[in-house]
Amino acid sequence: MSLAVIVVSHLPLPLKDHLILPAHQPQQNRLLAVLPEAERGRLFPHLEQVPMKLGHVLYEPGVALQHVYFPADSIVSLLYVMENGASAEIAVVGKEGIVGISLFMGGETTPSRAVVQSAGYAYRLPAPLLKEEFGRSGAVQHLLLRYTQALLTQMAQTAVCNRHHSVEQQLCRWLLLSLDRLSDNNLTMTQELIANMLGVRREGVTEAAGKLQTAGLISYSRGKIIVLDRPRLEKKACECYAVVKTEFDRLLPDIMAN
Amino acid sequence: MSHATPRPVVNRLLEVLPRSIRQRMLQRCEPVELDFGVVLSEAGDPIRHVYFPTGGFISLIAALQDQASLEVGLIGNEGMLGVSLVLGVDTSPMRALVQGSGSALRMPAAIFRGELERSPVLRRNLDRYVYVLLAQLAQTAACTCFHVLEARLARWLLMTHDRAHADHFFLTHALLSNMLGVRRSGVTRAAGELQRRKLIHYSRGDVTVLDRKGLEKASCECYAAVIADYDRLLN
Repeated sequence: MSLAVIVVSHLPLPLKDHLILPAHQPQQNRLLAVLPEAERGRLFPHLEQVPMKLGHVLYEPGVALQHVYFPADSIVSLLYVMENGASAEIAVVGKEGIVGISLFMGGETTPSRAVVQSAGYAYRLPAPLLKEEFGRSGAVQHLLLRYTQALLTQMAQTAVCNRHHSVEQQLCRWLLLSLDRLSDNNLTMTQELIANMLGVRREGVTEAAGKLQTAGLISYSRGKIIVLDRPRLEKKACECYAVVKTEFDRLLPDIMAN
Repeated sequence: MSHATPRPVVNRLLEVLPRSIRQRMLQRCEPVELDFGVVLSEAGDPIRHVYFPTGGFISLIAALQDQASLEVGLIGNEGMLGVSLVLGVDTSPMRALVQGSGSALRMPAAIFRGELERSPVLRRNLDRYVYVLLAQLAQTAACTCFHVLEARLARWLLMTHDRAHADHFFLTHALLSNMLGVRRSGVTRAAGELQRRKLIHYSRGDVTVLDRKGLEKASCECYAAVIADYDRLLN
């Protein structure tokens, strides 16, 4: 399995900044960060910090959810899995969101597989506690429902994008959505995971990445991707990136303002 | 989900509510006719009414700027249009287009919000319906990636058949091509193949389902998966 390292070169972080980063805390997740004090008081003592390893499967479709996850600096990909094992990404969830919305929408199990797409940390909460909090019809319910609407837009846009846009455009959208969800602009990925996300063959990803390199938007060699020109990457991406981002900004202004 | 209903067609989301709540809801709805091809809302439009289809049915369409589009959900008498209100958002996330003429019950958005606050049972059921719609959306996203057009068309005809409450319904090539996100020539080929296998009869937009079981076999797994979700959560 070859590794692709995705680094944004125009934002070089001095090493010392890495060293003085505060320890992980729940507030790195924006949904948790904007909760009112009472909600924080009830939920935060029960949050458990968990490492998220690249490629780790948080849950499979149809399995009862034991926890919901609030990514801090990790990114989780929601994949729809076909009977023959083929999969396609339907949404990405990072520090702006929560993994496990099926739980409070009454599904108990989820229709998708959740896979760690970028390693880091997350905070998880036992399922019954989230359901109880959701049942209070307060700030948590309000936020999670709005988040669900934003996710719904992302899923619809992904579906139409998969149908009509080139792998190259989809790759741009995907890189941008991922970069937005990172705290330090470093993403380590496998080509195989990217192919699974986009529902295409690995060769397709290699070819698309090659084209972006020729255009000078990224540098791509031996599995290492460096984003050289984000503004042009945005131009190259289909409209789908902007549609999703605009809708998240509109529906969740406090969360997206970061 | 039954496709031939002998009884008068009711909306199943309303039908499964406890009697007192159902009565309240019905009293606050007005009957309307949905006309084929009418756009009830565009993405971003404020939601003025929610619709509970009884005889008609509505497509949810994700559209791109260049007019290319894809149907990502179908709402008949098993569902409702306007779930964004359930999620606390008062704008429509995508285009809603009447795909099958027929009756519906509609309720002003403000009244609907009030009922939602008042009745935990209504909220619980509609949360579950949102889950089913999300699952349908996810399935569609993957289905368009992997499944051949003929299987997708079969799936789509089955979903329509379920909501049309008749073996015969009207569709145009343009509509089919927009729904499935493919060229018209692709629709012609796929429909021709289903016709050759005597599963449907298709002529100038008139579709007759000849062999429902055969059509189910020709469809991808996605048709059955969505129904299983609905039955698990809402029956």
